[in-house]
Amino acid sequence: MSKGGRHAYAAASVLAAGALVLTGCSKGGSDTGDNKKQDKENAQRQQASIKFGDAADSQGPAPAVPGAKSGGTVSVPARDSIAHLDPGQIYVSNESQIAQLYHRGLTGFKATSNDGTKHEVVGDLATDAGTTTDGGKTWKYTLKDGIKFEDGTPITSKDVRQTFERLFASFINTGPTYIQQWMANTPGADYRKLLPDGPYKGKHLPNTVLETPDAKTIVFHFKTAHADLPYALGMVGYSVVSQKGDTKEKYDKKPVTTGPYKIESFKSGKSMVLVKNPNWDPKTDPLRHQYVDQFNVTFNQQYEDSTKALLADSGSDQTAVSFQNSVDAGNLSKVLSDPKMKSRTVKGYQPFVGQMNINLSHPAMKDKKVREAIAYALPVSPFQRAYGGADAMEIPGGIISPTVSGYDPSFDPWGKKEKPAGDAAKAKKLLQEAGKVGMKLTFGYINSQEGQAYSTAMAAGLKQAGFDVQRQEIPAESYYDQVSKIKNNYDIFNTNWGADWPSASTVIPPTFDGRVIADGASNYSQINDPKVNSEIDRINQITDPVKAAAEWEKLDKYIVKDVINIVPTGYFKQVQIAGSKIGGLAYDDVIAGIDPRRLYVK
Amino acid sequence: MTSPIDVEGGGTSVAVDDAPQSQATSEAKALEGRSPGQLMWIRFKRDRTGVISAFVVAFFFLIALAAPLIAKLYGKNPYTVYADVRPELFDSAGVPIKPNGGISSEFWFGLEPGNGYDVFTKLLYGIRTSLMISVAVTIAAVLTGILLGVSAGYLGGRADYFISRVIDFLLAFPAQLFFIASMPVVVSLFVSPRDETPVYVRVVALILVQWFLGWMSLGRVLRGTTLALREREFIEAARVSGAPPWRIIRREILPNVVTPILVQGTYLLPNFVTAEAGLSFLGVGIVEPTPDWGQMFSKASTELVMQNDITYMFFPGISMIIFIVAFNLLGDSVRDAFDPKTAR
Repeated sequence: MSKGGRHAYAAASVLAAGALVLTGCSKGGSDTGDNKKQDKENAQRQQASIKFGDAADSQGPAPAVPGAKSGGTVSVPARDSIAHLDPGQIYVSNESQIAQLYHRGLTGFKATSNDGTKHEVVGDLATDAGTTTDGGKTWKYTLKDGIKFEDGTPITSKDVRQTFERLFASFINTGPTYIQQWMANTPGADYRKLLPDGPYKGKHLPNTVLETPDAKTIVFHFKTAHADLPYALGMVGYSVVSQKGDTKEKYDKKPVTTGPYKIESFKSGKSMVLVKNPNWDPKTDPLRHQYVDQFNVTFNQQYEDSTKALLADSGSDQTAVSFQNSVDAGNLSKVLSDPKMKSRTVKGYQPFVGQMNINLSHPAMKDKKVREAIAYALPVSPFQRAYGGADAMEIPGGIISPTVSGYDPSFDPWGKKEKPAGDAAKAKKLLQEAGKVGMKLTFGYINSQEGQAYSTAMAAGLKQAGFDVQRQEIPAESYYDQVSKIKNNYDIFNTNWGADWPSASTVIPPTFDGRVIADGASNYSQINDPKVNSEIDRINQITDPVKAAAEWEKLDKYIVKDVINIVPTGYFKQVQIAGSKIGGLAYDDVIAGIDPRRLYVK
Repeated sequence: MTSPIDVEGGGTSVAVDDAPQSQATSEAKALEGRSPGQLMWIRFKRDRTGVISAFVVAFFFLIALAAPLIAKLYGKNPYTVYADVRPELFDSAGVPIKPNGGISSEFWFGLEPGNGYDVFTKLLYGIRTSLMISVAVTIAAVLTGILLGVSAGYLGGRADYFISRVIDFLLAFPAQLFFIASMPVVVSLFVSPRDETPVYVRVVALILVQWFLGWMSLGRVLRGTTLALREREFIEAARVSGAPPWRIIRREILPNVVTPILVQGTYLLPNFVTAEAGLSFLGVGIVEPTPDWGQMFSKASTELVMQNDITYMFFPGISMIIFIVAFNLLGDSVRDAFDPKTAR
């Protein structure tokens, strides 16, 4: 998931004058964070990395949620309106999350534990997670029996062909591009040349790329091995589109859905109503349930508002739960310290990792001693504080976060876990050795509330180490456009990046491959290190996901410790709450939020 | 109001023994001439509210001036990020662990939730910043008001018409909106691309935009007063005796408009203090980490502080209420003392 842009307008402060309690006294803070205990938990999470399930795992129905019963209406407040309903356009995390209810793809991530921490990739519409005989160049999928669209027509390989061919048409422009690039065997946007108009002018992908020998079989042919295909197919962006019902651009307004729910009405910026889809057969679906009768989604509900409503827990808010909204930073310690809220609270990781980029295109930043000094001096505790503390942000080690296979909790090259406020003394020594004490360091920061708060404290820490820090504010709306320019004035700036599926192949190549430096590209630090480039090519060829994960982690250590083009600033986490009559509440690590598929009304 | 002279005169008649001598002294007293300034001072001293307000206001200016000294004796400064320097005092979200924002013998007013700045020194320096800016704006506005108001009133004719229309035009401006819109523009005029916006640029910009829309009311009052004075006999006499206009303005008119200048000035200053605080509250004035009164309000209104440390709001809040009320009462007292006949 690119761009933490959604963090940009997080938590706009509202002066809630009515809520002002003039008691004159206030309680102190509560310490809820314990880094060491968390490391242990992370290590346990890590041991169970995501496997590919077989045909038996892929059979429906999904294992019943304990105590679940059918019926009831759930109201869903959400901050950001959903912009796209067409699966090919869905990439942003809040859209992917709710789309789990109405779109289905060839594969999916099945939670194998009730707390949403353990997963395996299974076949969703397909009978298994995919079979390959030549190490990932050819992948074969077979469709299940009895799968239908909401209009009752059966899903065939023709629909799957349509799904992938239409991704090459120019109107599909916001979805993921991994599989298109693999099919065309080119990086960047050149993949569209493979099928410039999509399937709409009679042309189709050749059998050497995508083969559909009969109504049930789909075979992918790639020039190079892509062991990650089952993960990629699990993204909502690759969910199946009906060939008969494909209305091109208009599909974004009214898609033909496949999941347990269909869209009864959708008003952009206002509301969305989801009702049961009678043509969905639970026996074909290993992932989803259909307990709730109806979901009523309302948009433009800020974090503060939804938190206050859910805390008050009155009327229809008792059966309310927000998939997207987390508890806002101000109310966080109140929620966590309330024992009554415990059963209604879930928390977990988001895929995003904050990283302070050191702009390697600036001559002053080419001195490795200076970069080491920045890495030692930079306080990461302000970042944690700004987002609400240990339950909203974890002190990081490397760039591979606990949600991604290969995470190593013991990796901490700059001693941030012991000294989250930075080591100014060590940094000063390094700076003296380099003869650069008092050097100017331009720090571009996003002018959000969080950005203001952490940048001042970070600047204070860097100043202590002997840098002359010049803070420069960048408007939140254009922040990522500004910092992703090849020529920018900023020596250091923070960006957030999230993995698309739990593999570092969606983290390291997009952000650290020196061959993709361009205006607007996501290689923000402009690193072009021959070893990193060649390692990326080498590890991409490894077909065993466990082995690949270990190699990615090695590369992560090399980048963070030896290249030092970035300093990790935090692993994003979140706390979410639900009304008292919501059952089946679980935080799903892959969805990175409350799992909407297993909810029921008590 | 009874004059003290009458009372003393009435009292002396009781003393019969050495009547002539006492008569002589009281005569001397009665004949003693008092300037309007002295009269004002005597009246002001008898106004208890005014005197107390004056002391309060003087106290604020004193601590603002002496802020660095007090901070030095106290051993802290408003820029230290205590959440990183003394992490044991905070939870991971930056909320002080002790109640009431961590008030202790070490941190008298507690610590700010978030980055953990020391509230006591932050408030002192915040008052200092706000008062410095407001005093500068007041001085600039008063000087401009005098210059344009008096010349409009004295010159009359075309000049009067022109200046009055400018005043009307500027008065019609929505001031707060203008400040918000023009602050970033004025700041960006000075900024170089690699450097941080220096604090003085923001200060200068704040002074400029507030001054630009701050002088008109005084200018109008002075124009009216001057217009009336211009027709008086002593001005006529000066003009007939051949005094140049500049000398007439300086020696004849200005001493006679001191009263409105002082009264208007004492009303203007608290207005500028609140306007400056309002701008910083909205995020277009002074920004973190530079301490500022208004910016402390904006901090206090964040959900983090409201939910976890409501005590924080009382320090900037109460101090500002005291200051504004005291200054306004002082303004009233000054007006009463100068001009006891007009009703409020």
